[in-house]
Amino acid sequence: MTVLAQAPVPRDIGFLAWLLDPDSWTGTDGILASLADTVALCAIVVVVATITMVPLASWLAHTRRGEVSVSWLVTLSRAIPTFAVAGLLVPLSLRSGWGFEPWPIFIALLLLALPPIFLNTYTAIQQVDPGAVDAARAMGYREIDVMFRVELALATSVILAGVRVAAVTVVATEPIRAFLGGDGLGRYVRDGLGQNNDGLVIAGAILIAGLAGLTALSFRLVERFALPDGVRRLATTTTR
Amino acid sequence: MIPFFAQAPNPIIRWEYFIDEWDQIRRALVEHLELTIYAVTIGLVVAAGLSAVALRYRWTVAPINGFTAFLYTIPSVALFGILVPYFGLSRFSAVLPLAAYTLLILVTNIVAGFNSVSPEVKEAANGMGMTPTRRVLHVELPLAMPYIVTGLRIAVVSTVGLVTVAAIIGQGGLGRLIIDGLRRTFWTPMTIGAALSILLALALDGLILIGGRWLTPWAQRGKSAL
Repeated sequence: MTVLAQAPVPRDIGFLAWLLDPDSWTGTDGILASLADTVALCAIVVVVATITMVPLASWLAHTRRGEVSVSWLVTLSRAIPTFAVAGLLVPLSLRSGWGFEPWPIFIALLLLALPPIFLNTYTAIQQVDPGAVDAARAMGYREIDVMFRVELALATSVILAGVRVAAVTVVATEPIRAFLGGDGLGRYVRDGLGQNNDGLVIAGAILIAGLAGLTALSFRLVERFALPDGVRRLATTTTR
Repeated sequence: MIPFFAQAPNPIIRWEYFIDEWDQIRRALVEHLELTIYAVTIGLVVAAGLSAVALRYRWTVAPINGFTAFLYTIPSVALFGILVPYFGLSRFSAVLPLAAYTLLILVTNIVAGFNSVSPEVKEAANGMGMTPTRRVLHVELPLAMPYIVTGLRIAVVSTVGLVTVAAIIGQGGLGRLIIDGLRRTFWTPMTIGAALSILLALALDGLILIGGRWLTPWAQRGKSAL
């Protein structure tokens, strides 16, 4: 039994050996636990971003408000310094009694997730064929029905693409949490760097990159199978 | 009697730190700037090459786009981490990922810039007897410049933000102040590092914006491929 919080990893273990060892996966600081940690935080961030931004952006686009903010948002979404934002928030969070973690990284990741979802929803709804909207109105749809049953329905695939971009970005950035007093999947790179253990660093990097890749892949699958043929044929992505 | 755990008050920022530790702050700032400039310069050179290939051979557009997009999605912690076993905790391990991340933005904007030049203008240049090289340098490049400048701005601003992450491998300029403050639960360096990196990004953005306007006084504002 070990007294250390971190199970000491043999120094010159190869990353493959470590990854294939079942003991690395189980336990309180095993890979599965870290993975669950990361996935939970990322899922909450993406869900919060989606349920706030999709209604906001669709309303703004439906009423043709906020046209100016869009191009500015594109630049902003690439420019948010997540690490610095989270760093600034740590002392504030501690002073407000919210603790070291995970509020700072949560807010920083949220800032990262909002722009792509907002942007894709906004552009998608704006580009919905005006003919379809007029037809719905002529058929006596109320405005709320025009929004939900025409605009949102036609925009679904582009909105999903925005959620995918947000999710991949969030999953790819979340590992910095390990360097801000938290854990999650980034911990193996952190611990490996701290212990000068190359195998652990490489294994950790593979896990992080793997999760990001897997996220992108599963969203693409959802996008493909969750959509009716008609909508799928319309699918065009505005941002990657 | 003072209990052993009594601490000095730990405000968000201690202004005297600026004076006492100015050397350290300046070093971090300079390092941050150097890493940004190295990364964006390398990124710009590589992106120029890739864009030239993409513009000359149209079928390479999709693979080049896919490749740079792939690079962009690699998590930064993973990319910094994976280079350390091979290149050590060196500046190279920091600059290589940073440069790689700029490629998507730069290539997209450079290609969009050259594509925006209308065929009539190229015809006119040819008709005036310009050699292809001269036409590219004196007609197409200036016309593409607004796009390139916009791409450069986004690349620089996002690189300044990413440089802080390079602190996890012992580089990273102002990011080192953040990590250092975090390790010692001493907020001042952390706040200064984070705030200065954001200010640096804004300052460089403004500088390139002004530089771009000076280069292309005729151009419309805010053109971008993204």
